[in-house]
Amino acid sequence: MRARWLLPLGTVPALHAAYAAQYLSIEDAQRAAFPEAVSFATLAPPTSAVQAWAAGESSGAAPVRAPKVWEARSADGVLGWLLVDRVIGKTELITYAVALDRAGRILALDVLEYRETHGSEIRLPAWRRQFIGRDAAHPPVFGSDVRNISGATLSCRHVTEGVQRLLRFQQAVLAGAAHG
Amino acid sequence: MTRTRIAAALAAILAFAPLAQADDAGLRSEVAELRAQLQALQREIATLRQERAPVTPASAASAAAVPAPATAEDRANRDSGTQLTGYAELNYNRPTAKAAAAQADLRRAVLGFTHRVDDTTRIVGEFEWEHAIVSADDKGEAAVEQLLIEHEIHPSLGLRAGLMLMPLGLLNERHEPPTYYGVERNFVETAIIPSTWREGGVALYGTTAAGFSWSAGLTTGFDLGKWDATSDEGRESPLGSIHQEMQLAKARDPSLFVAGNWQGIPGLTLGGGVFTGKLAQGMEKYPAADARLVLAEAHARWQSGPFDVQALYAHGHISDTEALNLTLLGNPTPVPESFWGGYVQGAWKVWERDDSSLAPFLRYEAFNTAAAYAPAPIGLAPDTAPAEHVWTIGANYWLNPNIVFKADYQHFDVDDTKNRFDLGMGYMF
Repeated sequence: MRARWLLPLGTVPALHAAYAAQYLSIEDAQRAAFPEAVSFATLAPPTSAVQAWAAGESSGAAPVRAPKVWEARSADGVLGWLLVDRVIGKTELITYAVALDRAGRILALDVLEYRETHGSEIRLPAWRRQFIGRDAAHPPVFGSDVRNISGATLSCRHVTEGVQRLLRFQQAVLAGAAHG
Repeated sequence: MTRTRIAAALAAILAFAPLAQADDAGLRSEVAELRAQLQALQREIATLRQERAPVTPASAASAAAVPAPATAEDRANRDSGTQLTGYAELNYNRPTAKAAAAQADLRRAVLGFTHRVDDTTRIVGEFEWEHAIVSADDKGEAAVEQLLIEHEIHPSLGLRAGLMLMPLGLLNERHEPPTYYGVERNFVETAIIPSTWREGGVALYGTTAAGFSWSAGLTTGFDLGKWDATSDEGRESPLGSIHQEMQLAKARDPSLFVAGNWQGIPGLTLGGGVFTGKLAQGMEKYPAADARLVLAEAHARWQSGPFDVQALYAHGHISDTEALNLTLLGNPTPVPESFWGGYVQGAWKVWERDDSSLAPFLRYEAFNTAAAYAPAPIGLAPDTAPAEHVWTIGANYWLNPNIVFKADYQHFDVDDTKNRFDLGMGYMF
């Protein structure tokens, strides 16, 4: 049979299934970063603090948006925060989450949604682990602390810059709120 | 039947009614007790609610209920789901031995789009003009560089169908000027692995948590019938001269490719790929009816701190060309049996401020587009070509990661009339 090579194509529709482009939900990211938490509360930080932070971040071109913040609590009080933010990779938005402990140190970085045609390798655990333990005093620097993934340079660079921004947000806005 | 059952049930209720009446007082006291317990519970719940007032449980609903302030870019994303993309390169080449041959060329202007149909499906297109003007009297070229549908079957498995870039080497899939060093694309990844190389077909691609990404597909391939033994095109790039680019591509014989990269250690990329397919495409009475191409490559890249080092080796083999080459006797460019090339390159980011940076680089390439020919009768064997060795020294200056200016000097060990000085600029978005 001459067209024997076409046979494997028949298996393709069978593989089709509906999955979301979301790799991890916010809830999953919360539970993974704070397994001992009993509750996660959405937090609306003081507008004045957010505005002061945004003014410092803005380079004039694009407006800076505040991340969504969840406060993780155990019976003893605040454990830390999960911050969900977005950056542009090459042309598409990447949704990512940074979990911070009460001292502002990174517990985890998760890529929640990735939409680019190439570069989804930033989801690799080995790449994301480079951020753990960093804080506003020792922010991750792209190229030295955070090594690049060839073929995903812009995604790596922009997520690193986004994490730096969130660390400054923690210091400017959240640091004073961790009394509970 | 049903009526009988209803009658029996009624009889049972009537029989027990006096018994229920007798127990009435007991039930009343029990209800009063339950009411008191319920009121106590309600008070307790109210107290708890008060204590936990600022806390709302995490759930998908609560996440969705907190709208983030949308920026213009977010709105654009949500509204259309379509992104305009593009890149361009403008080059100036000046041979050192022959200034009259200096040339400035708008090498490529490319516009593309990515349209997200839904969360798991997108359409990608890229359209290219080469050499600025395309008309019957000009040398320009208009081409579709990519046109494909990409569908995510699973977060770590996707399907691509259409005209797609072949994932061999470090350059072909990522060929925008800000992503590589030097004004011109390197020789190995243009002469041995064609560039920009695309084929029509279907492919599966995926990633694993251990850092391995792969793709494999069934595509169109090359057409040996296009080989022109009278021109030197086949000497410059054997595969580049017989590519089909899905222009009425002969598709009797499909080609297969498998490629992969391991990036399990941040900064490191180790990878390789193989492409194979028959080249005669079923042409009748063709002297190389069973000719088959096998192109294989391996590459490595290490990026750490200011250093960026990469190496690649590619080897191509075309079988069953003896009879074909006998029909081409006397022509300058018979079909080679093997061709190969490799390079090592090192770059060092010496300066960086905000988004701008400067990185000098050095690249050494060796390649041979006609390293061997199929055995021929004594006296009729074509002469193999010597391997060319090229040194390229230069620098990339990125105004920002998407805009690059480049300068370099290229030295050819064998044919030093080709030595040249190059300037270039490029962008991508």
